[in-house]
Amino acid sequence: MSNLLDKFVSREEGSASRNFLLSAVWWSLWGMGAGLFAAMEFSNPDLVHNIPQFSMPHLRMWHVNAVAIGWLSMGYVASIFYMVPNLCKTKLYSERLGNITMWAWNLVMVGAMCTLLNGNTEGREYAELGAILDVFVVIALCSTTYNIVMTVAHRKVQKLYVSLWYFLGSLFWFPLVYIIGQRTFVALPGLNDAIVGWFYGHNILGMWFTTVGVGMMYYLIPRYTQAPLYSHGLSMLGFWGIALFYAPTGTHHITQSPVPEWLKAIAIISSIFLLVPVLTVLTNFFMTMKGKWQMVVTDLPLRFAATSCIFYLITCTQGPFQATRWVNWYLHFTQWVVGHAHLALLGTFSFILTSAIYYMLPRITGKEWKSQGLIRAHYWLKFLGFGLMMTSLTIAGLIQSAGWAMGMPVDQWVITLVPYWFLRSISGVMIVTGQCLFAYNIYQSLYSVAPEPAAPPKGQMKEVTA
Amino acid sequence: MNGYGYRLGAIGIVTTFFIIIFSTVLMPMVIFKPKTTTSANDYTVENKVSDPIRGRRVYIREGCFYCHTQFTRLQDREYGPLVKAGDFNFETPHQLGTERTGPDLTNEGNKYSAEWQKAHLIQPRALKPGSIMPSFSYLNERDMNDLVGYIQTLGNKREVKAYVQPPDEYLPTTWTGQELLKNKHVDTASDAAANAGRGIYTQDCAGCHGLEGKGNGPNSISLTKKPSNFTRPFFKQYSDEMWFYRISEGVVGTRMPRWNLTLSEEERWYLVAYLKTLQKDVEETVNDLSQINKPEKLRLPKLSNQQYEPHHGGH
Repeated sequence: MSNLLDKFVSREEGSASRNFLLSAVWWSLWGMGAGLFAAMEFSNPDLVHNIPQFSMPHLRMWHVNAVAIGWLSMGYVASIFYMVPNLCKTKLYSERLGNITMWAWNLVMVGAMCTLLNGNTEGREYAELGAILDVFVVIALCSTTYNIVMTVAHRKVQKLYVSLWYFLGSLFWFPLVYIIGQRTFVALPGLNDAIVGWFYGHNILGMWFTTVGVGMMYYLIPRYTQAPLYSHGLSMLGFWGIALFYAPTGTHHITQSPVPEWLKAIAIISSIFLLVPVLTVLTNFFMTMKGKWQMVVTDLPLRFAATSCIFYLITCTQGPFQATRWVNWYLHFTQWVVGHAHLALLGTFSFILTSAIYYMLPRITGKEWKSQGLIRAHYWLKFLGFGLMMTSLTIAGLIQSAGWAMGMPVDQWVITLVPYWFLRSISGVMIVTGQCLFAYNIYQSLYSVAPEPAAPPKGQMKEVTA
Repeated sequence: MNGYGYRLGAIGIVTTFFIIIFSTVLMPMVIFKPKTTTSANDYTVENKVSDPIRGRRVYIREGCFYCHTQFTRLQDREYGPLVKAGDFNFETPHQLGTERTGPDLTNEGNKYSAEWQKAHLIQPRALKPGSIMPSFSYLNERDMNDLVGYIQTLGNKREVKAYVQPPDEYLPTTWTGQELLKNKHVDTASDAAANAGRGIYTQDCAGCHGLEGKGNGPNSISLTKKPSNFTRPFFKQYSDEMWFYRISEGVVGTRMPRWNLTLSEEERWYLVAYLKTLQKDVEETVNDLSQINKPEKLRLPKLSNQQYEPHHGGH
């Protein structure tokens, strides 16, 4: 019995992080696959018939939740579970609690898959999960927070590195943002619902994906380059800038709806001010990288991280630009925005998470990557695939914008988008293939029979002694 | 840094976060309470054959809001009257949407018959070739009827006052319309303005619309979509704003240009004044080539470079 317990909710060091990481990769295959499937239905709307689970809107709900809650969030928790103990020079407070959290999170994902594909949704963009699943997510988030706060409280080093600021900040405000944003047990009248909805919709990005992602960049880049961080002062400025300017930006998603003007003004002004922390953070990274850029040729995880930083720069200049009324007037409601969303989540944060996984997995499990060639293939498939997706969505968005601005009927411009839908499907195939190679590489590295008769991995040792 | 510094930092994070929550989440909930307008949709229909409230749940379940929005913007043309804040008081969860792969549905109700909507949901491409909407043929009879019932309620509380109406962007009910009115210094009913407009008309419009506005300018021969005939009594119902809108934005799909790119606001108002004088009680129709305004054949003098080119000096 205790054996079984140790197997499923292990107390082995690093097991929570590893299990979270493997789950993240597992759900990424489902999420990205669903995205590809939905993209194919854009270019070929009669691909499937009479199967409600494969209807485009259902696939889209599942795609968004699988990549956001499954792939990125689980990967983030995995990184936090690995990086925080390392920065504190201590062990994770409770591996067992971490593993329980992991199971709860996976349960949420299974529930999400079963409900969303059948359309059991709350009907709120990015907050589709049903009430029970919401409760589970909050429990999982809170137990993660508790685990990490206790780890930090037991730290062996006095100084808190900047990544810890980001992780602790995110773990403090993201559960709150999630609770406010779900609106599960309240019914607000239409526009108030939209205001709170976009507070959440933007802050799942701003107070979770961005802040944890940037924290990971702060952790990884100095380690890859073997160089100290350029400036601690700049990193603090960046942190406080993000904390201050990110949270109120949500209403810029509905600048053209009849919500109060003052709220739109706050949102747009803080969106523009976001350039300050973003440029601060990136200056810090690029100055840390100074003189080390040639390393991206040989160091593949660093290449992922550097690409991520550059995409971050593009996303965050695009964001304030399209939040202003003059530009939003033209670009809103189009595929341009879909491209922008992918630039942030796929281009920036998926890349940094992939980089982190390439860095962490050998260090957690003690097993080297089986194939460097597969890593290289993964990089190029993902990078080129994403470039193609971004280009096609941006062009499609500009065509759509022109259509709306000129008052053309939808029937007329929608036909001209067909080639771009097709290109996006191809880009999807490339990205999903890359992710499959990634998963295969992980499988090969972890589970193929190791030729060297080295000392048994740490976990087995522990079981014997316990 | 000592432990006290971190405590200060933690307090800072918490305070910042709650100030932001207060100002962008709580404050709007307390301050922003729009009164329900008469045009707000409460999903009631006469002669109930289906349940629109249940239909709305089907709409949400099938994720229609990922591709269809439910709010018209100032610049949206031909999607019906502009929404007001109070229109959304019964909308929980909101279905505003953020992306339009398909048309806006704010005023979709009764644009087509219920049978059309149903057929369109079952096989969109049979009715709208080239559409990429997924087929919802898997919906059962009850879901389908309720969904169609819901679609038919959209915008059914909105009242349109006149058959011909410019977009809200040009009407004094919106801030853009008020700006327009504020900058309008031309009395469009006056003869002086009409006279000023006549000059602009002969320069810019007569080429296609003809000198008397019968749509028979010399250029009309080559146009497949013939220019409007302003002598039609139909145009009597055009308001100043409607004329102004047409001149400013042109007509998509025809050679009528967007004059707001070349003419100033004042010039366009002068044109409005002139155009309003052209309507007759009976339309003067133009049926064949002989009725086209033909420009006088120019009798040009024999041209020589020497005469018309600028002097280069020397001889």
